[in-house]
Amino acid sequence: ENGFKRPAKLQQMDSPLKQFQEDFEPTPLYMAIITYINYGVITLFGFLRDFLRKHGFEKNHASAEAGDMDGFVSLYASFENFYTRNIYNRLHDVFNRPICSAPGPVIKIMEREFSQSGWSYKFTGKVLDGIVNLGSYNYLGFAENSGVCAEASIKAIQQYGNGVCSSRCEVGNLDIHAELEEKMARYLDVDACVTFGMGFATNSMNIPCLVGKGCLILSDELNHASLVLGCRLSGANVTIFKHNDMKDLELKLRNAIVNGQPRGYRPWRKILIIVEGVYSMEGSIINLPEVLKLKKKYKAYVFLDEAHSIGALGATGRGVTEYFGIHPKEVDVMMGTFTKSFGAAGGYIAGTKSLVEHLRAKSHSACYATSMAPPVCRQILSSLEVISATEEGKRRIQKLASNCKMFRQGLKKLGFIVYGNDDSPVVPALIYSPCKVGAFSREMLSRGFGVVVVGFPATPIVEARVRFCISAALTEKNLQDALDAISSIGDILQIKYKK
Amino acid sequence: MHTGTTNQVANPNTVVWNSPGIWITYSILTAFMHLVLLSMPWFTTSVAWTLTNVVHGVGMYFFLHTIKGTPFETSDQGKYRYSTHWEQMDSGTQFTAARKFFMTTPIVLYILASFYSKYEFTHFVINTSILLLSLLPKLPQLHGVRLFGINKY
Repeated sequence: ENGFKRPAKLQQMDSPLKQFQEDFEPTPLYMAIITYINYGVITLFGFLRDFLRKHGFEKNHASAEAGDMDGFVSLYASFENFYTRNIYNRLHDVFNRPICSAPGPVIKIMEREFSQSGWSYKFTGKVLDGIVNLGSYNYLGFAENSGVCAEASIKAIQQYGNGVCSSRCEVGNLDIHAELEEKMARYLDVDACVTFGMGFATNSMNIPCLVGKGCLILSDELNHASLVLGCRLSGANVTIFKHNDMKDLELKLRNAIVNGQPRGYRPWRKILIIVEGVYSMEGSIINLPEVLKLKKKYKAYVFLDEAHSIGALGATGRGVTEYFGIHPKEVDVMMGTFTKSFGAAGGYIAGTKSLVEHLRAKSHSACYATSMAPPVCRQILSSLEVISATEEGKRRIQKLASNCKMFRQGLKKLGFIVYGNDDSPVVPALIYSPCKVGAFSREMLSRGFGVVVVGFPATPIVEARVRFCISAALTEKNLQDALDAISSIGDILQIKYKK
Repeated sequence: MHTGTTNQVANPNTVVWNSPGIWITYSILTAFMHLVLLSMPWFTTSVAWTLTNVVHGVGMYFFLHTIKGTPFETSDQGKYRYSTHWEQMDSGTQFTAARKFFMTTPIVLYILASFYSKYEFTHFVINTSILLLSLLPKLPQLHGVRLFGINKY
């Protein structure tokens, strides 16, 4: 079959295959003070520049409302764009870099020239070639424009055409969808699976199908926007527990069960715990054995979002359940996306047959959204084939694991503070200061490496970081060169905080 | 630093004063400002201390009680667009640690300024009015109150 053997009995929870460990070193105090002073100075200069722009001493490049709007309430508050004007615009060249090749291990970036402190840019016409890609979610290296998967997708276009032009409930239910769902269910070793055209919409459209008013959702602090939106749309009560903190989760569960619903103290209809397999901003892996222990003890349900962990964790890439040695039937709702490891688009939800039949009938995504395009389905099917049944797939998974290990140990040896679990394919290295964040990205680009940096307000104010995404397609040489470049920039910018 | 992405809290402004090390930074910056004023040769000690108190009080009033909304777009659909920073702190919960810190700093500066200005009358009047300007807007009873429609929208 797929060549994977499951243990005959369900794995005992008392001795999980993997000991759970993660590391979130707190910010050094001197660095926190310096970061706050940085933001303070930038903010003061922002106020000064705003003052100059308002009174005409400096040209105002922002758009303005029409002049004859006296007496109307203003359309937008210009203060809401303070950050964009004064801080984001200065770092404009570090974000939204246009790529003009497949997002593989090496990419081509179109060079831009910024003017007037980041208000506008134009393309210089030059294309930076050979930039090593450390930012794409290309965990198993399937972002290729040639090879088995690409050939299969081209044949699928020739057979089915490009689009489906209908939703699953109408005329958009193709045989390739059924084949994909069946293969995915067998790969995950669950009863059934249903797929949707968009990964974000899989979460936001299907959580309302599972819970509603009178239910409780316990959602991790750092859950993705799609999960947060799904929770809000469902109308259920949402309680947030601290990231990966099982004691906090247990406390909140107990409080919820003891107190019941807010007014009237009636018992909750359902309690759903929503967690992710791998959190992409922190590089941490969810403590799944503990979550399942709590679920059994307090009779709650678990929704596991494996967007970043499917294909990337586990000996055969079956995700965080395989990583911990837990049978997937223990998780009630297993959700994942095809955007990261499979190099396609879309998402799936897998579980028992009754759950999947319910979603097929009731999900908004199934009724109203267009179903997945056939070449995308074929891409997933062929990459799934490669991952689960060929030597090439095994090689890629092992390469990803060894790349992760090598890169993470390398960064730690250099003296960087790295967050998260040692086995996660996402490696965030902390930079703290907003100025160094911009400098790091620009220096890396000038040395031929494309990285993703994030700062406040996407992260807490003292935890601006650079987030490396390891790929199986990156060679040892790529990673070693990257580490050398990072080391030299780290010496210049003084960001090796552990030393 | 995408301004529209999801965060741990919908509005980071609500929790920024609970971040590690920010109280120390605030105290260091106030002390630095005081040293700058103290080092000017044409200010006597009394004037320098009173001026520190005044600059601190006026600055605090401007940043905490005049400016409304957030400097970035938040994912809570503009809930705090008409709230000052003081009202946004800890999402409006009263008597939290950060709020107590901000109640204490004007009082500490007032005591120090009164002491160093030897309780002279003019300095007393200025310092006390600055203290009232700093403390009155922070009272829980004045949460969300706009007097005479000033600063309402």
